[in-house]
Amino acid sequence: MATKQPFNARLQEFTFVSRSARHQTNMADYKEAPLASRPITLDANEYYNLSPDKRRAEAERAALRANLKRQYLTQLNNPHRKELIEDPALTRWVYARTNPYPHFRPTFKTSLMGILSGIVPLFSLYFIFKLDRRRKERMIQDGTLDRTLGLSS
Amino acid sequence: MRTSQSVSQWQPVNMAGVVFRRWAQAISKGNGSGISGLSSGVRAASGTSKDMMPGPYPKTPEERAAAAKKYNMRVEDYEPLPDNGEGFGDYPKLPDRSQQERDPWYKWDHPDLRRNWGEPMHWDFDMYIRNRVDTSPTVVPWATMCKQLFGFLGFMLIMFCLGEKYQAYQAVGPKQYPYNNLYLERGGDPNKEPEEVKNYEI
Repeated sequence: MATKQPFNARLQEFTFVSRSARHQTNMADYKEAPLASRPITLDANEYYNLSPDKRRAEAERAALRANLKRQYLTQLNNPHRKELIEDPALTRWVYARTNPYPHFRPTFKTSLMGILSGIVPLFSLYFIFKLDRRRKERMIQDGTLDRTLGLSS
Repeated sequence: MRTSQSVSQWQPVNMAGVVFRRWAQAISKGNGSGISGLSSGVRAASGTSKDMMPGPYPKTPEERAAAAKKYNMRVEDYEPLPDNGEGFGDYPKLPDRSQQERDPWYKWDHPDLRRNWGEPMHWDFDMYIRNRVDTSPTVVPWATMCKQLFGFLGFMLIMFCLGEKYQAYQAVGPKQYPYNNLYLERGGDPNKEPEEVKNYEI
């Protein structure tokens, strides 16, 4: 690497090194995307955010989780239980997903979605099919349509 | 034992008998933790009353605290979905992360869903199950993946279009047959002399 070489040879070496460095992907350069989250091991929050507030928050969350776990395991291991353990979180989720109507409000966005998915396909598909068939019928009448039998088309 | 009335409604049940049995069992529990466990606010076994169901968007801090308690979340963690008329109500906004991202080695209550009992479910939970959308970190950056995929597809599309427009095949001519273009095989008269057909040039 340190041999005496003419100028253009050394320039070639230099460009080769920069080219290979550019092809590397460092973990520090990881970019998030909507469908690609940041791995926990690259999340600075996990290493540096160790304030007592955060610890207290984590302890509270753990207490809530432990309480739910206790309730579930009590019911699960109850030898006299005959029925299914109903999950109120699941019930709430199902209820929320099936009953959005009381909280619906016509806004610009919701009206646009309704029009785009209801009115636009209805009329556009009608006109597309009608005009296409009219053109085809005209071609058949004129005799310009190729109607040779073909089993693979 | 806490019998869940909503689940066992289809069985013929003597209402008075059930109520008496439950009361007798609650009394006979004896120890304080059992009774206080029944009377604490975080019980989840009989959650079919109206205040346990999702409701309208919370406007006051008290409503927010009540909603957080209802969904088993901390008040600081609870953030309702935006009130934009799409019908969310007070349902909480949870991080948009798929179930595939969760720890595979922890003992979940429902291992295939990687979820614990009673945990608040994401609005799009059925989309984020492990069979469907996955938001796990990718090995290659998203932009690189997009460039590679669409670059390849675009290149192939362009080349096929060009090939369709400017076709380039090996030149072929009509097939040549010997014996004066197969005169006899094609039903020619054997007594008559066929005309000479020369398919070569020297």
